[in-house]
Amino acid sequence: MSSREALLEVRALSVERGRRRVLEDVTFELALGEALAVVGPNAAGKSTLVQALAGLLEPAGGEVRLLGRPLAAWPRDARARTLALVTSLEEGPDSLSVAERVALGRYPHSGPFRPWGAADAAAVARAIERTGIGHLAGRRLGTLSAGERQLATLARGLAQEPQLLLLDEPAAHLDVGHQLQLFRTLDDVRRGGVGVLAVVHDLARAAAWAERMLLVADGRIAAEGPPGAVLESPAAEEAFGVSIRGVAIGDGTEKLWRFEART
Amino acid sequence: MSGGRSRLVVPALGVALVAALLLATALGSVPLSFRGVAGALLAKLGLPGDASALGPTGETILFTVRLPRVLLAALVGGGLAVVGTVLQAVFRNPLADAGLLGVGSGAALGAVLAVHLGLASAVFFALPLAAFAGAMTAVLCVYFIAGTSGRAGLHGLLLTGIAVSALAGAMTSVMLVATEEYRVKTVLFWLAGGLEGRGWTHVQAAAAFVLSGAALLVLLSRPLDVLSLGEEEAASLGLPVRATRLGLLGLASLVAGACTAVAGAVPFVGLMAPHALRPLVGPRSRRLLPAAFLGGALLVVLADLGARALSTRFELPLGALTAFVGAPYFLAALRANEGRG
Repeated sequence: MSSREALLEVRALSVERGRRRVLEDVTFELALGEALAVVGPNAAGKSTLVQALAGLLEPAGGEVRLLGRPLAAWPRDARARTLALVTSLEEGPDSLSVAERVALGRYPHSGPFRPWGAADAAAVARAIERTGIGHLAGRRLGTLSAGERQLATLARGLAQEPQLLLLDEPAAHLDVGHQLQLFRTLDDVRRGGVGVLAVVHDLARAAAWAERMLLVADGRIAAEGPPGAVLESPAAEEAFGVSIRGVAIGDGTEKLWRFEART
Repeated sequence: MSGGRSRLVVPALGVALVAALLLATALGSVPLSFRGVAGALLAKLGLPGDASALGPTGETILFTVRLPRVLLAALVGGGLAVVGTVLQAVFRNPLADAGLLGVGSGAALGAVLAVHLGLASAVFFALPLAAFAGAMTAVLCVYFIAGTSGRAGLHGLLLTGIAVSALAGAMTSVMLVATEEYRVKTVLFWLAGGLEGRGWTHVQAAAAFVLSGAALLVLLSRPLDVLSLGEEEAASLGLPVRATRLGLLGLASLVAGACTAVAGAVPFVGLMAPHALRPLVGPRSRRLLPAAFLGGALLVVLADLGARALSTRFELPLGALTAFVGAPYFLAALRANEGRG
């Protein structure tokens, strides 16, 4: 694909935390409307990657381009209108209501002073509806389950109306029902033309949801491609230290994944 | 959900504050009639009112003693409550107050210095000015040390604030010991917090900082709310986290410094007012800050009235009274909340 269609272009990105190099020579692209899952063992550098893509960490080398423009050259507010970050780290005050929490996602659009408008209200209502938390809108965050809070955070991200949605372990606290709701929402968002990049812990869930998969191990990209191919690659077995086998089920388009300790 | 009832909180507090102001100006060692006070105030404001009911003595008491004291109580209470609200949002901790930034201990050191050098008795208004200078010096030290040690994050600010406060406290002790005995009482009175003998100069100085500072902080409600989500989320929403935090804390320090300079230490107001009002109006600053201002003002006006009423053989310090009320209230509130506000 030509660079003008690409939403996100990452070239030879390396990132350091303190003096430790956490990411090395990471190169990939993401198009509008594409769903990319980032997988990898603990401490592989996945969260660092997401933070660097969100512009929260300064790269030590290489480059990240968003819609063709270097990430560092974006004004803060314009960047926050174009990309949204949703993590499982959640520190908002417990007494905030869900609707108020989601409304803070309009900050990149409204800034400190612009009055709240119809477009803001519509975006908030839509984000709440898409994440299926309409029945919780008036509840305070402190009264919610971890999973419900996570969906409220996702709704905040959607209220930003981004073209790129970055998620770091969005399903971390979710039970199976909320997980299905989350990935249904992500599919819906992607079909609306938004590029979605998600760090996902559950490999089977990641394979079922994503169109493409990025395996990060030891700060580098160990494999990239269709989820099935990545999971069945020797690199994945090496990275996770387990044997991974996909068993075709139904008409063969879906696979059941088996993970076993290597002997 | 938080619509109807919570909208009534600010008007209700406003009415209660006006009533408390009237009550506090009328009551005292020389009681004034409510009608006389109301008439004299209306006449002063150029409105139709009967100024004659008080008589010349009553009028002198009202305008040179009672009114400045009561207005100062409202300004100090409102200012401290706004500062507490802002710091609790910035530090994401319901226990945060201006003491974290070294305001109280810096002001105490400045006040002691002014008394020790004899400036406090020789130069008009020297004590509040020195206290204010001390508070600002302490806050700047905290920022500077936290900034240059690469620890400008929340944690670094907290630790540096504690260290600087302890240092200023030690210096205050040394100065107190080295100060002539007859002057020590002046410092002790100031440290205990109170509004005895304050006049219009104090009101003007406090009003300039408290009203403009509080207004600016209300204007910055939205960035403050975004900041309360935590650094990472705030940055991802396009907020310049460091600059915003510095600006908010700077404004809060100016307000807290001004309040402490004119009234000494008046503890717990910054904790109680926001804590009591947050469940009623929610944590969003656009609503909570005005409510906290009115609530804090009401609290200190009533506390000062109580301190005057209880002062028979000696003047009960205002700061001691707010602590007597505030500490049990806060412990009970903490227990009810199991730790999180």
